[in-house]
Amino acid sequence: MAEEKFEPKVVAFVCNWCTYTGADLAGTSRLKQEPNARLIRVPCTGRIDPVFVIKAFESGADGVLISGCHPGDCHYNTGNFHARRRWTFFKELLNFVGIDSTRLHFSWVSASEGKKWVDVVNGVIDTVREQGPFLKYKEIKEHDFQEIEN
Amino acid sequence: MKIGVFVCYCGENIGRTVDCAAVAKELSAYPGVAHAEAYKYMCSDPGQNLIKQAIKEKNLDAVVVGSCSPHMHEKTFRKACASAGVNPYMVEIANLREHCSWIHDDIPSATAKAIDLVRIAVEKVKYNEPLQTIQVPVTKRALVIGGGIAGIQSALDIANAGFPVVLVEKEPSIGGHMSQLSETFPTLDCSQCILTPRMVEVYQHSNITLLTYSEVEKVEGFIGNFKVTVRKKARSVKDEVCTGCGLCVQNCPIKKKAQSEFDESLTTRPAIYVPFPQAVPNIPVIDRSVCTYYKTGKCQMCKKVCGREAIDFEQQDTFLTFDIGAIIAATGYKLYKIDKKPEGHIYKGYGEYGYGELKDVIDGLQFERIASASGPTSGEILRPSDKKEPKKVVFVQCVGSRDESKGFSYCSKICCMYTAKHAMLYKHKVHDGEAYVFYMDIRSNGKGYDEFVRRAIEEDGVKYIRGRVSKIYEENGKYIVKGEDTIAGVRMEIDADMVVLATAMIPQPENSKVAQLLGIPYDKHGFMQEVHPKLRPVETSTGGIFLAGACHSPRDIPESVAMASAAAAKAMVLFGSDILEREPVVAKVEASTCAGCFYCQKVCAYSAIERKEIRDRQGNLIKVVAYVNAGLCQGCGTCNATCPSKSVELIGFRDEQIFAEIQSLSGF
Amino acid sequence: MPDLIEIAKGLLESKEVSFIIGYTKDRFGRVKPYIAKSVEDANNLMFDHHSIHNLAVYLTRLKIPENGRVGIVAKSCDIKAIIALIQENQIKREQVYIIGMNCSGVVTHSTDEWKKENIQIKCKYCADKAPMLYDAVAGTAEPFEQPDDTQEVLMQKLETMSSAERWDFWAKEFEKCIKCYACRQVCPMCYCEQCLAEKNQPQWITTSPTPAGNFSWNIIKAFHMAGRCVGCHECERACPMGIPLTLLTRKMGMVAGKEFNYRHGMAIDQPTLVGSYNFNDNEDFIK
Repeated sequence: MAEEKFEPKVVAFVCNWCTYTGADLAGTSRLKQEPNARLIRVPCTGRIDPVFVIKAFESGADGVLISGCHPGDCHYNTGNFHARRRWTFFKELLNFVGIDSTRLHFSWVSASEGKKWVDVVNGVIDTVREQGPFLKYKEIKEHDFQEIEN
Repeated sequence: MKIGVFVCYCGENIGRTVDCAAVAKELSAYPGVAHAEAYKYMCSDPGQNLIKQAIKEKNLDAVVVGSCSPHMHEKTFRKACASAGVNPYMVEIANLREHCSWIHDDIPSATAKAIDLVRIAVEKVKYNEPLQTIQVPVTKRALVIGGGIAGIQSALDIANAGFPVVLVEKEPSIGGHMSQLSETFPTLDCSQCILTPRMVEVYQHSNITLLTYSEVEKVEGFIGNFKVTVRKKARSVKDEVCTGCGLCVQNCPIKKKAQSEFDESLTTRPAIYVPFPQAVPNIPVIDRSVCTYYKTGKCQMCKKVCGREAIDFEQQDTFLTFDIGAIIAATGYKLYKIDKKPEGHIYKGYGEYGYGELKDVIDGLQFERIASASGPTSGEILRPSDKKEPKKVVFVQCVGSRDESKGFSYCSKICCMYTAKHAMLYKHKVHDGEAYVFYMDIRSNGKGYDEFVRRAIEEDGVKYIRGRVSKIYEENGKYIVKGEDTIAGVRMEIDADMVVLATAMIPQPENSKVAQLLGIPYDKHGFMQEVHPKLRPVETSTGGIFLAGACHSPRDIPESVAMASAAAAKAMVLFGSDILEREPVVAKVEASTCAGCFYCQKVCAYSAIERKEIRDRQGNLIKVVAYVNAGLCQGCGTCNATCPSKSVELIGFRDEQIFAEIQSLSGF
Repeated sequence: MPDLIEIAKGLLESKEVSFIIGYTKDRFGRVKPYIAKSVEDANNLMFDHHSIHNLAVYLTRLKIPENGRVGIVAKSCDIKAIIALIQENQIKREQVYIIGMNCSGVVTHSTDEWKKENIQIKCKYCADKAPMLYDAVAGTAEPFEQPDDTQEVLMQKLETMSSAERWDFWAKEFEKCIKCYACRQVCPMCYCEQCLAEKNQPQWITTSPTPAGNFSWNIIKAFHMAGRCVGCHECERACPMGIPLTLLTRKMGMVAGKEFNYRHGMAIDQPTLVGSYNFNDNEDFIK
């Protein structure tokens, strides 16, 4: 039997109106994607809190993708603008402590960009696969379990 | 909590790639799941009955359906569950079709993913809480943006049903493009003759507030409760005193500086003008960019001749606000105009056709003006350059349409028909003239449409050539049209006297701006987007906002009118009840932990966060906290993510629910 | 220049303020925070290079009467925190009487001698050593030798490291954390009544001092400072385990400066960075 290939776990936080619908369109158009992403639907990128990302890594994610409406297209007018500021800080902070842009990804995918969604999601999965499992985070998490057991 | 899991095969749509029985089996052993089964069509009556039966037999508190996208059938399943006694907000959907079976081929990995997706939904539903819809009052007044035929139709329908309408048009007159047309296909009835009575009806209707030369400035609020600010641009003419006598227009010394918008630049108009004689309202506007008074402070001829003292050079833009219940966008289209040097333009254009450079290479709307009895030539077919009758006219279809490399991928839909009409009108007026049409395909699907094209070919002798035009240039006073006849397989060269380009229909440039004001999506071309292409074609993703006419996609007059009536009907459905039920997905503040930093207020796009004082029994102020006005909150949750202490939570997407969803992934 | 004690006495005598938050020396000669409630108490107030504490933290911890006013002794770095608290609706300008102190730098620990090596790095960058928002000014500033920015050296070193190396650096630092929350208690901007770390439905941050819990706590704390930290460096001073916490807040400050040209706590009517946006904010990192 061939050596088992590493299959990354990618968690995608997507807004309901643009990216989720764009992903629906990709489905309706039967555009094939890699099966590694798990989408968590929220109303708006404005709802996505950085603690979600931390929790996703704690829950074993090897990569995280955050995606919403293009600037000016937000269903709630300005949610994605506030989200963008939030991510500007958060991605720099995570990068500063060693979680770089190969693990944490961002995109704008509109309801009509089914094809772009496929490209983004496959691109993220490929990048994360290349990086391998996020062992460093798993180590600190493992440590937690041991401490609790002891 | 007892959760029921229902996995839908969706015929073969899900079942082909996802082992639905295995998903149900796996989930039946999952903590909290009291019942799990798979069925061919969950959304069908027997499928829904299955759910209802299980709810009763197993006493379920919550339901997860693994099926198509929640955008498709969430409502269906919520309703089914509600009828069986489970609160509709105790239902979650796992998207096994659009997000799983349709995008994967490998059965084992798709099945594994489907199990994960259902688990995520099960974990979320564990933290759902029964919710009640929010009831809000409905303002029974509609706003229609755009006074073309679509906007006129919507406004009249709603007004005739007895509801007040505010109709906003950015140009000085309503009428839109239809007022420019000569005759209309396939009946060849005069466009103005059928439109003008409608325009007058709008003007005289007691339920319609007509605001021309006005633009929507701001839209606040939500379905049933919009607050709309309209900018009434300064006309420099007092509309309440002007009688429309036209003396000012006749006496304006500036005659040649401004090109007539109505005549598509084929003629000029004065600085003070009424766009066309049948304009509604018949009140002139001063074009301040060309008026001498605004440049030098002199002239004032219009003021001198006006007996009513209606001219007001100092007039300012005014702002009007309206309480509105429903909004219909009918902002229309324009033609794709691209000349030889599309500098800074994102489109490549058709420089090789000489449009904008060769005087007698014109577009469809210009031909309409030439053919129109009210046009610059009084309906005589005379070419713009020398006012001579062209004996050979070439019509080129699909200029910009169906041509992604130079224009747009879509079909503009009306050009096949209007080109046939143009060629026919030409032949009716110039009996010895020759008309050639270059086409890609003839798309004449409408009542009496194909017969109309056949008539042009067979009765009027218009010569149709299947092929594209590669180049148009001037030689010895003739316009040489080089092309190809792909059926005969020969190259063509026609020495024409005039060329008419059927350029693509594109949205008005302000379309995307209006869409942003309204908070509705638009596609990459700028056409506004409906919420469902088949079943909700005139609704948008924002409640209470509807679409009519060519702002949505290219369409002809009957289609625009039908869509306008459909949009009006949708608005009237809304007005049919006094109270509107809204989704209970709104934010809520936990006052006990709120520190009153009001970052939530700063990020709220709806001004839904208010300040509330907390006082003790003696009336001493303890603190000031945030408070959500549930009527204004739209449920985006930006406040939730911004709040550092998580004292504000979005009902339906609370932290606990999302936490549970994320944590469920540790298993996969 | 009027004397601090004179000003304080006047304020307390006229009952213009209910009390004054300031510094005093205990019987061992150590400087510590002090609340002067009477004219007599005012005699105990003092200010010098050892007045290191950012007393603005007390403004949100002490009950300020609805229509009353309190006095506070503040050096310019503390005044930034006061301004930030006004910007964030925690106090009203009229509720606080600021006695701004002309400052000549403070030392790192309250027992340190006043010399170059002991002066806090933040004092090097204190462009506004004279108070910028005050109701009265006291004290005299003496010239002092600027400290070396040893932190910048470390910062640059971190920037050139690989992601994995940075992770290891921080994993080692965060491992030390004992979750005592001293960093939070001392921070004037951490005024939440219930910290996210103490919210247990759901529990985003593990409360026990485990590696993953320490990581999430320190990251979320630093993120909550994004665009809000005024750079008083109290968190790092208070940390009993010596975690270089200001590296994180400094990084957030650098992003605020570079991307948005913003510094928190500069003007009471300035819109806050968090809670506002610009259509053209940089989005190079978004696909």
